[in-house]
Amino acid sequence: MKKVKVSSIYLILVFVLLYAPIFYLIFFSFNQGGDMNQFTGFTWEHYATLFADQRMIQIVLNTLLLALLSSLVATLVGTFGALGIAARKQKRLRSTFLTLNNVLMVSPDVIIGASFLILFTSLGISLGFGSVLISHIAFSIPIVVLLVLPKVNELDPALLNAAQDLGATRWQTFSRVIVPFITPGIFSGFFMAFTYSLDDFAVTFFVTGNGFATLAVEIYSRARQGISLEINALSAVMFVFALVLVVGYYFIDQYSRTRRQKRKNHQKAGVMIP
Amino acid sequence: MEKPIIELKQITKRYDDGFTALENINMTIEPGKFYSLLGPSGSGKTTILRIIAGFTDASEGEVWFEGKKINALPANQRKVNTVFQNYALFPHMDVFDNVAFGLTLKKMPKKEIRERVVNALKVVQLPGYANREISELSGGQQQRVAIARAIVNEPKVLLLDEPLSALDMKLRKDMQYELRELQQRLKITFIFVTHDQEEALAMSDEIFVMNDGKVLQSGTPVDIYDEPINHFVANFIGESNILPGKMVQDFEVQFVGKSFECADAGMRPNEKVEVVLRPEDLDITTPEQGKLVVKVDTQLFRGDHFEIVAYDDDENEWLIHSTNPVKDGKQIGLTFEPEDIHVMRFGEKETDFDARLEQYEEE
Repeated sequence: MKKVKVSSIYLILVFVLLYAPIFYLIFFSFNQGGDMNQFTGFTWEHYATLFADQRMIQIVLNTLLLALLSSLVATLVGTFGALGIAARKQKRLRSTFLTLNNVLMVSPDVIIGASFLILFTSLGISLGFGSVLISHIAFSIPIVVLLVLPKVNELDPALLNAAQDLGATRWQTFSRVIVPFITPGIFSGFFMAFTYSLDDFAVTFFVTGNGFATLAVEIYSRARQGISLEINALSAVMFVFALVLVVGYYFIDQYSRTRRQKRKNHQKAGVMIP
Repeated sequence: MEKPIIELKQITKRYDDGFTALENINMTIEPGKFYSLLGPSGSGKTTILRIIAGFTDASEGEVWFEGKKINALPANQRKVNTVFQNYALFPHMDVFDNVAFGLTLKKMPKKEIRERVVNALKVVQLPGYANREISELSGGQQQRVAIARAIVNEPKVLLLDEPLSALDMKLRKDMQYELRELQQRLKITFIFVTHDQEEALAMSDEIFVMNDGKVLQSGTPVDIYDEPINHFVANFIGESNILPGKMVQDFEVQFVGKSFECADAGMRPNEKVEVVLRPEDLDITTPEQGKLVVKVDTQLFRGDHFEIVAYDDDENEWLIHSTNPVKDGKQIGLTFEPEDIHVMRFGEKETDFDARLEQYEEE
């Protein structure tokens, strides 16, 4: 009994610590005072400025577009990469590829950012949306590979033989058996790449030019000039957005699960009659 | 003899690391029959199946199908279908889509697919299971879906790779009857891989006994059981008493220090041989009337018979099947007919063995 209590207090403490800064930030986004020292009164003022700030809205859209494009391309490349690694017959070659992949995962963003900067300038590629997109795709690919590979390894080679045996060509085997089977891995790879791209500051900071900024870079440069509560308002909006996504995903998942369950029960009842 | 549907000509399979999985395999498969490839694990039986299905290439030799060489034909164009050992059902599809897979690839009209899938599920006694998920099925049901998925394509030959090995004893027995019945109803050629000799004996028209990548003996279950070619086959198929002996002359063999009349001939005089006596061919009698006298050591009740282990004066072990129990430690006599003795030569090849059998049986 006592043990349960201690563990639940611990859990509550952890969550309070994790969420307190966010709620603190959101709380002051409604502050009339204009700074985060003292709460003087409630206002929507900062939200009004935020939604009137054309530049900020443009940046939010840019960031989303960048995340979407880079994660889509990275998912495509990474999925084939995972299939390629899994198809290597020699174990040593396979683990070498996997290690090379993982090195990119653990190497610091600063190093990746700096090396991309050097690469782009030496190739004469102008910095901007293009350069940021390329580097985001590059650091997302290893993530996708890492998330798709376990699913590919789970794939029983007998399934591929079975498809062939039933008359499937290589393409049909790929599109009707392999892809549906590894789809969960592809999805988690895509969403992970998407959030990594949204999150990224260091790499983007290196390779972005004058005309283009992502949210992370913009917030950083504004915070350096002094705190504006518009940032707080933006954080609050994004937090609510993320919350809605997670809750929405939960309900969709629940819905499809109960529907499957219902259909199952339905069938069982139907079969038991004769 | 009917025109063969599949012929394997001098098939050899060698892997990159030098391991020889198959050595000079020759097989003739006639249409409409139930064949078994029987052997211990690692004997190469599944490799033969994979070569016929087209999943693996033979290193040497030719595969013929309906009078055409098909070595270069890819698996998806061969008119054979396979039931895999672990069933290999597609987990992301329900039963209907699994069974319909082959037909949808052929771009058959939806209505016809529906009819044929429903019919195939009826054949394997799973009507009304079309919309189940694979994960909801028991092992036996998955097995049936795998069979339905194969036969719905109306293959000329169905290859079955130890399909019953994952089922429990009772279900396995039931499925043996069902498979045999199915084969006779559909008149498809079945090539059935198994390591279970009982299964092979019960179901097959013809058995190929394999070991170490070679076919040791082929023939009807009765032939193989009654006249095994060598020690391995005699031991692997059924239970047996195998004793060293000497062929004194035609129709007379000597073992455990005595001479017996037998039904075998065509060997050199005084050639060293091995003698097989099946436990169920030994009849228990009084020590005075017995051709052999043995002392009972232990006996086990097997339900339909008693399994008795006894020793003779030379400490040779004898396995006897009897419907009646005997007393432990008692001296008993054993009798048998000359035809019950089967004599095996050392290192005799199957062709020589068959030729010899034919020769003296005509005399």
